[in-house]
Amino acid sequence: MLYLLSVPLLWLNLRIGDLLEPLINYFIVSLALLCVGVYGLIAKRNAIRLLFAVEIIINAAIINFVAFARYYDTPLITGQTFSLFAIALAATEAAVGLAIIVQAFRLNNDIDVLELKRLRG
Amino acid sequence: MDTPLIVLIVLTSVAVTSPLYGIIFGKKSLKYVQYLTTLSLLISLVLLISSTLSLTPQESTVPHLLRNDSLGSFFSLMVILVTLFVTITSFDYMKDNSNENIYYSLLLFTAIGMTMLSFAVDLLVIFVAWELMSLPTFILAGYNKRDKLSNEAAVKFFILGALSSGILLYGISLMFGITGSTNLDIISQSLPTVSADMLPFIIFSTISMLAGLGLKLSIVPFHMWIPDAYEGSPTTISALLSAATKKAGFAAAIRIFAVIFPIFSFDLALALSIVALVTMTVGNLAALTQKSITRMLAYSSIAQAGYLLIGLVVLPYSDLGLLGLLYHSFNHAILQASAFLAAALVRLKTSSSSLDSYNGLSKVMPITSFCLALSLLGLAGIPPLNGFWSKLVLFAAAVDGGYTWLALAGLVNSAISVAYYLLVIKRMYMDETSLKSIKEPFLFISILVFASVVIIVTGLLPNILYNISEDITLSFLSNNPV
Repeated sequence: MLYLLSVPLLWLNLRIGDLLEPLINYFIVSLALLCVGVYGLIAKRNAIRLLFAVEIIINAAIINFVAFARYYDTPLITGQTFSLFAIALAATEAAVGLAIIVQAFRLNNDIDVLELKRLRG
Repeated sequence: MDTPLIVLIVLTSVAVTSPLYGIIFGKKSLKYVQYLTTLSLLISLVLLISSTLSLTPQESTVPHLLRNDSLGSFFSLMVILVTLFVTITSFDYMKDNSNENIYYSLLLFTAIGMTMLSFAVDLLVIFVAWELMSLPTFILAGYNKRDKLSNEAAVKFFILGALSSGILLYGISLMFGITGSTNLDIISQSLPTVSADMLPFIIFSTISMLAGLGLKLSIVPFHMWIPDAYEGSPTTISALLSAATKKAGFAAAIRIFAVIFPIFSFDLALALSIVALVTMTVGNLAALTQKSITRMLAYSSIAQAGYLLIGLVVLPYSDLGLLGLLYHSFNHAILQASAFLAAALVRLKTSSSSLDSYNGLSKVMPITSFCLALSLLGLAGIPPLNGFWSKLVLFAAAVDGGYTWLALAGLVNSAISVAYYLLVIKRMYMDETSLKSIKEPFLFISILVFASVVIIVTGLLPNILYNISEDITLSFLSNNPV
């Protein structure tokens, strides 16, 4: 998904020749990823796809961190540090989430979140 | 004394080792794990009480990451107290469950995350603490893994909880890009100096962070998962989610918004005030129609988040705002924990949480009914109880900060909320029951009675907590001018 989005965007930008402000490219990619993630959360019903969508949002933020950290004149290590933390935490989150989803599959033989409607008010 | 670090070390040492005891010593280690968990929480509680009462910010080993001030101590005192309640009541509630050692370990990990979150002054630590607080609660919500309802609650809670941390992370990344730092002090210095072109990014970042925090603070439009998660998960965990994790989220929100507010105070305050109005109205109106006590309490918890938001709205205009927020946070934590734990005891004994099972409950479970009635009256804000005083301070803050309409809306909402709280009390005390007399477990009851004593004492002597909150507010605002 990253390649699909970033390649045309970067190509477009090179055509325009706006090489002086490369930061905006990274920001556009990360914004696009955020939109993909939010779209996935709204439109998809499979729990694992929803997990993917959340991971895509986290990756969008990680791209931001690394790009912004490079942008400042005095290179900042904070951005890279933060992205490493974020990657590790996203992995733990995926582990916990997959465990819960596996259990949901065992109980319901299905991981369609719209079929989860026992709890109703 | 560096209280946060000591508390974190005490809690972590027990949290990490208690699953090991289960592997090495088997089932009989459970009692020791329970005692150890309780003991570590009690030690932390004592340390935090002493550091809340000493108001000057004390030294910290990692001053750029964790600030050892009384605001953090106050919030972590609250969450540790609620975790202690939940731990002790879980002795009965979680009896004969598999892997009980891990349950207590996860409770402690949540407590560690919440403690870290209340002291954190760096966005990196805020994010790590946020995850450390959230991840164990996902597992705890689905703890009865053969129970379809518990699992459904966990799935819904997990997806929205993960979304919350993702969006929060995105907001933090933008804030880092704008200011070049993740430390809240440096951000507050450099935010006013960034160029005006950056304003859209600041707004986008603020909205992202508000959405990420809002999913935990249960503010409307991010409240959808709350009733499902609170109803499906073990009811002791609902108490933890509603009374503790939400308060820790408010601690982080105070620190972040105290930094962001000076940039564009009016627009943000107006937007937040509308969110507060919608939150309390939706919560109260939805609570009126519920058939299950946990769902009703969940919606009441959403409504109370609306009242608490008033404190954030008037943060720049009136000192009373932060004061009321702190004061009501404490009272709401005690009241909500007591109400949910009473509901947990009823669910344990009658294996039902529908409102019909509360008919005539006062005849079979007199002490539980009394404690539940007391906490519901407190949540409704009936005068001699503590919920009344803190709501009064919040509404006074709204008037003082120039949001008179918000105070009026809050009053109308309080009036609506009395209806559904009293309906439960009417069911318990007026209706007939078919149940036989039920034995109420001693530890459970002693926690409920203790909470009731706190509710009555802080209600009859409101100046104790008021003065503490006032001192904390003044010391926080003198260090972080808003």
